[in-house]
Amino acid sequence: MSTSGRWRAFTTVFAVIYPIVYYLSVWKNYALFTYIPALGRFGMGVLKSSNGPAMYWYGWIATSALAAAAGGAAAALLPERLSARLWPGWVWIIPLCVMLLFVYLLRNYFLQGR
Amino acid sequence: MTTALLIVHALLAIALLGAITHQTVAVWWPVRKAAGSFVGRFRGVSTTSYSNAIVLLYVCTALLGSIIYPEYRLNVRVLLEQLEMPVANGIFELKEHFASVGLALLPVYWVMWHAPAAETRGPARAVLTAMLAFIVWWNFLVGHILNNIRGFGS
Repeated sequence: MSTSGRWRAFTTVFAVIYPIVYYLSVWKNYALFTYIPALGRFGMGVLKSSNGPAMYWYGWIATSALAAAAGGAAAALLPERLSARLWPGWVWIIPLCVMLLFVYLLRNYFLQGR
Repeated sequence: MTTALLIVHALLAIALLGAITHQTVAVWWPVRKAAGSFVGRFRGVSTTSYSNAIVLLYVCTALLGSIIYPEYRLNVRVLLEQLEMPVANGIFELKEHFASVGLALLPVYWVMWHAPAAETRGPARAVLTAMLAFIVWWNFLVGHILNNIRGFGS
């Protein structure tokens, strides 16, 4: 496969896998690391803190980026006849669905007091 | 320091907002003939030339946002909880998740805008651009609203 073909396959699969893994990471809290801002400390995995809030957002991004990069790299190694079958529409349908799922996941913020 | 970073974050977001809005309008509502009016010229920009700037501005804006995020988490979110404003916290949660999803779309967005016309099949490129525009607009407005709630320098 040509370099541009590999790069296209990588970015397409990356854009599909990342939102899915990111949603799962947020939902089930699969943060690769935790940041505790009150202490200015990072720690591997999901940590709880007695010194203020723990931040998982950076860890969720890292988890998702690693998984998506692995998936994208695998797609880039596929023969061109297979990677050419990747439908480009997935790169917006999946993220759009994930964004709607986030609205549903966070619905309690908007329904409190109703 | 945080206030200075917040202002730079907002300025980058404004530049990004302008660029992505230009590109989205131009790709969904292109001009068919030479434009004379302001709206016509707004629609008639060279869409591809915006993609590098949009990727760079998005990454820089997100990076600055991630640097000032701990300050928000420690000082603003707690205040919003004390003020019993769950909707404000909810829209910020959506902002952070949408921003993350948008980051992941940038590589394929860039590839689609730089691929030969024959390779950009279907409406994927235009829809992807519109999604990024939605994310940028949502994040800008939410950031603006939350900043107004907290109050500058308070």
